[in-house]
Amino acid sequence: MSKHKFTRACAALALTLVAGSSLAAEKKLTVGVADALTGGGAVYGLPQANAVKMAAEEINAAGGIKAGPDIYKIDVIAYDDKANPTEATNAVRKLIDRDGVKYILGFCCSGSTSAVASFIGNEKAVMLVGNAAERSITTKKIPNLVRTRPPADYTGQAAGTFIARKGQKRIAVLGALDVGFYAQYVDSVEREIKKVGGEIIAREVFSLKDRDMTPQLTKIRGLNPDAILVVGYVEPAAFVYRQAVELGMNIPRYGFTSGSEEQFLRVTTSEQMEGVWDLRPTELTLLSASKNGVAYHANYTKKYNASPSPSSPYAYDQLYALKAAIEAAGTAENTEAVAKALRNLAVPPQVVMQYQPVDGKMFDVNGQAYTSNGAFQWQKGKWVFVEDLPSDSKAYSQFLSTLK
Amino acid sequence: MLIEILQQTINGLAIGGVYVLIALGLTTVFGILGIAHFAHGSISMFGGYLTYFLATSQGLPVLAAIPVALVAGILLGMLVEILAYRPVRNANHINAFIVALGLTMMVEGINLQLFGHEQVVIPTGLSRVFRLGGITVPELRLYVIVAAIVLVVAMMIFVERTKTGQAIRAVAENRDAAILMGVNVRTIPLIVFGMSTALGVAAGIMVGALFAIAPGIGEGLVVKGFAVLILGGLGSFPGAILGGTVLGITESIAAGFISSAYKDVIAFVVMILVLLIRPQGLLGRAP
Amino acid sequence: MLSVRDLKVSYGGIEVVHGVSLDVAAGECVALIGANGAGKSSTLKAICGLVPASGGSISFEGNDITRASGHAIVRAGITMCPEGRQVFPQMSVIQNLRMGAYTRTDPEQEADLSRMMDMFPILRERQSQAAGKLSGGEQEMLAIARALMARPRICLFDEPSLGLAPKIVASVFETLARIKAMGVTILLVEQNSMMALNLADRAYLFEAGRIVMEGAAGALKNHPDVMRAYLGH
Repeated sequence: MSKHKFTRACAALALTLVAGSSLAAEKKLTVGVADALTGGGAVYGLPQANAVKMAAEEINAAGGIKAGPDIYKIDVIAYDDKANPTEATNAVRKLIDRDGVKYILGFCCSGSTSAVASFIGNEKAVMLVGNAAERSITTKKIPNLVRTRPPADYTGQAAGTFIARKGQKRIAVLGALDVGFYAQYVDSVEREIKKVGGEIIAREVFSLKDRDMTPQLTKIRGLNPDAILVVGYVEPAAFVYRQAVELGMNIPRYGFTSGSEEQFLRVTTSEQMEGVWDLRPTELTLLSASKNGVAYHANYTKKYNASPSPSSPYAYDQLYALKAAIEAAGTAENTEAVAKALRNLAVPPQVVMQYQPVDGKMFDVNGQAYTSNGAFQWQKGKWVFVEDLPSDSKAYSQFLSTLK
Repeated sequence: MLIEILQQTINGLAIGGVYVLIALGLTTVFGILGIAHFAHGSISMFGGYLTYFLATSQGLPVLAAIPVALVAGILLGMLVEILAYRPVRNANHINAFIVALGLTMMVEGINLQLFGHEQVVIPTGLSRVFRLGGITVPELRLYVIVAAIVLVVAMMIFVERTKTGQAIRAVAENRDAAILMGVNVRTIPLIVFGMSTALGVAAGIMVGALFAIAPGIGEGLVVKGFAVLILGGLGSFPGAILGGTVLGITESIAAGFISSAYKDVIAFVVMILVLLIRPQGLLGRAP
Repeated sequence: MLSVRDLKVSYGGIEVVHGVSLDVAAGECVALIGANGAGKSSTLKAICGLVPASGGSISFEGNDITRASGHAIVRAGITMCPEGRQVFPQMSVIQNLRMGAYTRTDPEQEADLSRMMDMFPILRERQSQAAGKLSGGEQEMLAIARALMARPRICLFDEPSLGLAPKIVASVFETLARIKAMGVTILLVEQNSMMALNLADRAYLFEAGRIVMEGAAGALKNHPDVMRAYLGH
């Protein structure tokens, strides 16, 4: 080493020591985000990552997380998992092994999330799942995993009671039924409508890439159903609604798609959508929003110059739940204690979604949280919140506990 | 039951028309140059995207955007012939094959860069529905079917009744003999690529108006196009027309009466069955 | 009219025609005879631009056409009736004939079409049939008629009797004689040397890519070497 280099190294060391000592009072807590930042899942994943970053800034500005004697400021690292199981596994391994991260948030999509859930139980880390709706993610009783979004069939149950109350008996289903959580949603609807003597008379399938639904719809039309139920991704669902009108089907149309007005109007006219129901988690809608929701919408819009997606608060709420759990556990080092604290957490006051606690707790024994569900109807070019759907979180939680 | 079959047939006609247009382009190019022009689907979709772009961002009426896109398709097809396929004209066939694959990826990439990964639906504003007994025909589908028929007839007239059209057939059937008739075999591929791409663009616009254009759709369509070629008989125009119509209607009826989950599979099963009975395809000549 | 000087033709680097020179005058019927693979057909193909000349020159009516492309040579007035007939099999007889007139823009094409069908009544009979369905002899007639539809100044025939039954061969040569009588300039490549020499005014004898003998057809016919090697005497 030359003399010159040695001097430089000493200076650098001295600087590090000085900087370190000045931050001694507050520590840094790095949380990871694994989510779809590009590709088809990015419509859900990118807003979730943004929401986590926004929550981190708010928490830091309000003084950080107080864990026993320590105060933590939050740092966020976000990796793109492209909604792909392999990419997600790699991203999470990198977060845990290389970046030393103990808390991983995000997770918008079921396939990639399930892949990570399959090994997270063996890690000294806590996983908080967002928008991914596949039921089995919270049936394995993984102690260090919680999820803010309810499983699809929880919503399906509420939707089923709604349809049953409307009095239609013969329901034809058209949807992405090869995807687990959509099929589970339909199963729940079926359970509810059977209680009032109704039945599902057809289960027709479309895939993400299908755009011509007329064969399925023609078949359904021949069965003379009282109503159709469309479960699946926004884009194919929009074609179902449009082509149903084109085939002259003038019956109630129910759906589980969570698509925005803009997404539907790219495919259909507003007239073709008139009267369609969307039966889904209430999520973020300005009409039904709490004070937190209004503030969240305003802050997010200001910060990112775009409206937040309806499901993005699932990730925002993850960080506030984590904060509350670390403060309750009194440590950010012991992940087991934090995971346990999450399971015993009351709903923190800062969250945006309207959670329905089970026995006073945000997450039930399965690590599952429940939000309210709502019935939205397309009226003159807009989704209008019509009413809350009757949802029994306690009964569903017990049902979930019986599953393996 | 009868109404359902009729309705499914009508449903299948529109998509069948799209298949026919794609297959006619592929079969002409294959006939003249022996090239499996895989990029055809992606280039066709480019035409659809272009129409969408002109009709939305540029505010052109759709009816004005369509001819612009068709002319752009002719020029683009000629450009592809000159830049991509002409250099490998006399080389080993595998070279043209690789060029075709590379071109597909390139055009898909260009589409993605220019128009993004979101699906695109060409706004036509045509939402009337015609009713006939128990059968419904959406206005847009009717126009698509009519447009497809007009284009096919126009192409048949061009090929059968004009000198240039006859020269195209002659080159396809016997290149050397065509030279001896005085046919300039360098300009014929240009004309063929121009014509085929224009037909493809028309199909792209139809897909964009009826359904949607998105990454990967063009590639899927070109696979169907080749299936139609094989089903109808390689190099046969009537075969492409019959094959495309049969495939469209079969898909529709199969999806309606068996299962929509196997729509694509059923189409290929039918193709394989036809080939087992008639290895040369429906209208192909026995070897 | 047609003048070939020191023509060389190669396929993939292997030379098959080693410097051939020949002339055809207007109104003449000239035959190229010799064994299979002697370079006769390659010479003809080089004249029509189907294969490139690797050396030498070809001129037609004073214009150099050595490097001209095939379609330009047709437009200059040289038409070939190719070996193996080469009809367009899926096109109808009448469409094949019309292809023969591809380069023409004059209004007499339809009249020529009907003249051809008068000359070959079988073609009128079969006019809307696919050419591929015709018999070998009928296809030969079609190929000849198609070549004449161009109204060529010189017509090249490449092995018109190849693969045909003897009876048909005789009728093909009768046809060629009629065409000659019409005043069409003919350059004929033929393995059936006897028939060719009976028809032609002059002839060139090819051996291994070179011309080894030339002269009036009658003189060649009676030359002892030719008689022994090619006429089977």
